[in-house]
Amino acid sequence: MTTLRTLPKIRDSISFLYFDRCKVEQESKAIAIFTKQDKYVIPCASLSTLLLGPGTRITHAAIKTLAENACEVQWVGEDGFRFYSSGRSSSTSVQRLYHQAQTWANPQQRLTIVRKMYQFRFQEELSDQLTLQQIRGLEGVRVRTAYSRLSKATGVEWKGRNYKQDDWFDADPINRALSSANSYLYALCQAAVVSVGYSPALGFIHIGKPLSFIYDIADLYKAETSIPAAFEAVASAREASGMTVRQKCREKFSNYRLMQRIIQDVDKVLGYMSGDTEIPAVSFLWDDQVDWVEGGQDWAEET
Amino acid sequence: MVVFVLENVSPSLRGEMSRWLFEIKAGVFTGRISALVRDELWKYISEKVGNGSAILIYSTNNEQGFSARMLGSPSRTLEDIEGILLAKT
Repeated sequence: MTTLRTLPKIRDSISFLYFDRCKVEQESKAIAIFTKQDKYVIPCASLSTLLLGPGTRITHAAIKTLAENACEVQWVGEDGFRFYSSGRSSSTSVQRLYHQAQTWANPQQRLTIVRKMYQFRFQEELSDQLTLQQIRGLEGVRVRTAYSRLSKATGVEWKGRNYKQDDWFDADPINRALSSANSYLYALCQAAVVSVGYSPALGFIHIGKPLSFIYDIADLYKAETSIPAAFEAVASAREASGMTVRQKCREKFSNYRLMQRIIQDVDKVLGYMSGDTEIPAVSFLWDDQVDWVEGGQDWAEET
Repeated sequence: MVVFVLENVSPSLRGEMSRWLFEIKAGVFTGRISALVRDELWKYISEKVGNGSAILIYSTNNEQGFSARMLGSPSRTLEDIEGILLAKT
């Protein structure tokens, strides 16, 4: 049942499922989650990422099945903060990674992509005359406007974004909800991006973090998904629980058709044209004169 | 599209169902009806189901692409987990 066509898979999949305090096991070729009283069977092949909260146990067989079905598994904290995540790339092709690395390493192409990433978030056309610094300024204004617009629409008081991670419980409910909602968006972007072979670390706008590229991609969608989700969650219940935030996130991801769009959007922003997806039977060796030679054979006589 | 699965119900209820839908297999009804008709049928079933059981599955615009309802005491039940329906046993 597993095919090489990764694109349709991401498009059709359910964005995420979150479970805590449970046991995850393989059961007759599927994945079952055992809570204290109940058992749930999980459609892992049509799930993009499984988020496991505190108090979860998972078996070796379950991880193997999840990996085979290209379902990312991420271990997260109570409020959605990933403290550990794992999984091999389920991609069968390295084309996208090569494209990403090439454009990343070329300052001119990189600037073009950075501009496209910013452009993606604006309704109107950004003039070519604008410098990157000016665009960054416009972006700051756009985000601030989005916060105050949502604050007005939902009646949630807004005193500015507070990122301080060490005083989590000092932050106001909306800031906590925003951090949680963003981390679910990150989880999803990571699952999607990794599944087709992009590197999470090679960020274009963000640099210096193992997940820089994920932050780049998540920023494309924050204003439509995680930010309104957080405001609506807090508006519906002052002490928005993780559950409300997740429910609102799912609603936004689904309404915005995130799973259908994400890979298409990333490919477009990066200027990646899907080429031949056929996987070579053998691996190749790089050659400085003829680009590549066939691997898996003895080249001793050539020297 | 909707699918109803009825088990252990009266012939008259099945007759009523087949006025609207196509009985593809004993007790399994499918077809395309409006949400209004679907809900009316479900209401009707819930009155007439007796000791039997009923399942309704229908396409809808959510992340999974479908939703479901259950009546009676089937061996597994559906639970909404933060917006996703999962079968619970």
